[in-house]
Amino acid sequence: MTTDTADLTRLATPPTFQSVSGARKFKNGLATAAVWGAFLVAIVPLVWVLFIVVQRGLPIVVNADWWQKSLNGLLSRQQGGGVYHAIYGTLVQGLVCAVISVPIGLMVGVYLVEYGGRSRLAKATTFMVDILTGVPSIVAALFVYSLWITTFGFGRSGFAVALALVLLMVPVIVRTTEEMLKIVPDELREASYALGIPKWKTIVKIVIPTALSGILTGIMLALARVMGETAPVLVLAAYAPYINYNLFDGPMASLPLLMTTERSNSTAAGFDRIWGAAITLVIIITLFNLLATVVSRVLAPKTK
Amino acid sequence: MKIQRHSAVFGLVAAGALLLSACGSDQNSAQGGASAGATSSVDVTCGGKQNLNAEGSSAQKTAIDTFVQVYQQRCAGQNVAYNPSGSGSGVKNFTGGQVDFGGSDSPLSAEKGEVAAAAERCEGNPAWNLPLVFGPVAISYKLEGVTDLTLTGELAAKIFNGGVKKWNDEAVKAANPSASLPDKDITVVYRSDESGTTDNFQKYLTAASNGAWTQEAGKAFKGGVGEGKEKSAGVAQAVAGVDGAVTYVEWSFAQDNNLSVAKIDNGSGAVELTPETVGKAIDGAKIKGEGNDLVLDLDSIYGSTEAGVYPLVLATYEIVCSKGYDAETAQAVKAFLTVAATDGQAGLTDAGYAPLPKAFQEKLLTAVKAIA
Repeated sequence: MTTDTADLTRLATPPTFQSVSGARKFKNGLATAAVWGAFLVAIVPLVWVLFIVVQRGLPIVVNADWWQKSLNGLLSRQQGGGVYHAIYGTLVQGLVCAVISVPIGLMVGVYLVEYGGRSRLAKATTFMVDILTGVPSIVAALFVYSLWITTFGFGRSGFAVALALVLLMVPVIVRTTEEMLKIVPDELREASYALGIPKWKTIVKIVIPTALSGILTGIMLALARVMGETAPVLVLAAYAPYINYNLFDGPMASLPLLMTTERSNSTAAGFDRIWGAAITLVIIITLFNLLATVVSRVLAPKTK
Repeated sequence: MKIQRHSAVFGLVAAGALLLSACGSDQNSAQGGASAGATSSVDVTCGGKQNLNAEGSSAQKTAIDTFVQVYQQRCAGQNVAYNPSGSGSGVKNFTGGQVDFGGSDSPLSAEKGEVAAAAERCEGNPAWNLPLVFGPVAISYKLEGVTDLTLTGELAAKIFNGGVKKWNDEAVKAANPSASLPDKDITVVYRSDESGTTDNFQKYLTAASNGAWTQEAGKAFKGGVGEGKEKSAGVAQAVAGVDGAVTYVEWSFAQDNNLSVAKIDNGSGAVELTPETVGKAIDGAKIKGEGNDLVLDLDSIYGSTEAGVYPLVLATYEIVCSKGYDAETAQAVKAFLTVAATDGQAGLTDAGYAPLPKAFQEKLLTAVKAIA
C-alpha cells in the first residue's frame, strides 16, 4: 500500500502574487526615482557650498600667519595678516557662554525629569523653554542690548555677546538633558534607592553619569551652533582688527563679524579674508562636532 | 576610572585653550602701505588709552585705515578700531557713548537733536565736527570703447533723473564731440541705503544743474530711475558687471573696481579727477561753523565755475568732544587726530582721497590741540 506522502516543497495553494504587475513595477520605479531625486537635491547644495568654500578658502588658510596674526595695521587692500583675533573672540565668547549656560541648562533638565514631575512649575518651565527655543537670535541680541547696554549702561563687549548666546544655548541644553535623562531606565534609580542611597546622590552618581555621553554631545552641538551666530555679534560687539583679550571692554572681533565687516571691502584682499574666515569657521565647528563624537564614545556607559 | 577619563578630556580642552592664548600676534609687516615717520614734522604725544574705538561713515574707511597704519608707526602698541557701519550709526553710537569718536558724512544736525545729544555725551560740552577726510565722488561708468567722457552738471542731472536714456543721446554727443558713443541704454545704479554720498551728490546736482535737477537733496536717492545697490562696494561692483552702467561712488571704490571716471565740465572746460583739481576745490571751501567747530559750506564748491576745479567732493567729519573725555582717552584721540592731519595725509592720494590743503590743516591742528 502506498501512502501519499505530501510534497513538502510544494505549497498547498499557489502563491497569490505570481508575478509583479506592471503598475506595481512602475510605482516602485517612480518611488525609487523620487527618493534618489530628493537625495540629490539635498546633497547638491551641500557639496557645492563645501566645494566653493574649500576651493576659495583653502589656499588662504594654509599659512601659519593666518592662524597666528591679526589684521592690525593693514589697509583693506593689503594682503597678509591673519584672523587670530577673530578665532580668539569666537572661541572665548562661545566658551564663556557655555560656562554660564551649561550649569543652568543641566540643572533645569534635572529638575524637570527628576523632581518636577507633573507639577505646575514644571509645566510652566517647559512652556518657557519651548518659547525660548523659538526666539530668533536677533531678538535675543536686541533684548540683551536693551537690558545690558541701554538699561544698565555697560558698553558693547564680547561679554554682552556671550550673554545673548546664553539665551540661545540654554533651551537647547535643557532639551537634550531632558531627553537623555528620560531614557535612563527607572530600574537603575530603584536599585540605588533600594540600597538606601539618597535621591541627590542617586542623580549625581547614577543618573547623570549614565546619560553623560548624550548630554555632552548635546552641549558640543549647541556650542557649535552658537559660535556661528551672526546677529548677536553684529548688534553687541564692534569689530576690532587687533587682538582684544579683554572680554568685558572694547570691541572684539569674531569670525562671523569679520566676514560681515569685510563684505564692505571690495578688494581682492577683502574677498580672500571672507572666504578664509568662512573655511576657518567651518573647520572649527567641524572640530567641535568631532570632539563631541569622540567624547560621547569615550564616556558611553559600558554595556559589559 | 571614570573620573580619570573625565579629567583627561578637560585637560585636553584646557591645554588647547592655553596653546591658543599663547601665540597670537598683532605685528604685521605692512608692505606697500603709507610710508611716514622719517620726514615727520610734527610732535605727537603718544600714549593714553591703548584701544581707541570709532565708528561711522564707510566713505572714510580706507582713509582711516591709512591713518591707523601711520599712527601705529608713530605710536607703537596703540590701536584704533573703526567700524564702517554708516554715518547714521556712527553718530548714534557716539552720542550713546559707545565709541570715542564718530565718523559722519554730514555734520551733527541741530534739528534732529544730535547736537544736544552729543553735548550730553560730552558732559555738557559741545561736540566738534572736524572735516578730516576729503573724498572726491567719481561719476563712474563702464562703457565698452569709451574711457574718456565729459559731463556737465546739467547732463549728469538729466542722466540720473531719466531725462537722458541713451549713451548716444544728442546731449551726451554735444558734450563729447570726439567720442564714438554706442547706441546703448544708460543703466543708472544708485545707493539703496541711506548715505551721505547720495546726499552730497544730490546737493551737487541741485547747485550745478541749472535747474535740471528738480528733485531735492537727501540721504535717499530721489532720481527715480535705475537700480539700487547696498553700500559703496555694492554699487561699484554692480557697475563693473554691466556694460552701459553709471553711478556715483567714492573715488577709491571706482579705482578698486577699475571703473572709468567721467570728467566734469563746470563751465570752464573739462576737469579730470586728480588730487590737484580736488585740492583746488577744497581751498575754496568756506567754514560756516564757529570757532573750532569746522562745519563746511560745500555749496560754494558745488556751484563753482572756476577753471581747474573738480567740484564734486565729499567732506567727511570726525565728531569729537571738545571737552569731557577722561584724560587717557583725550590723549589718545588727540594723538591719533594729530597724526591723521599731518603724517597720515601722505598716503591718502593712493587710497583715492585728496590731502588737506595747508591752510586747512592748520585750522584742524588748532582744533585738535584744543581738545581737552
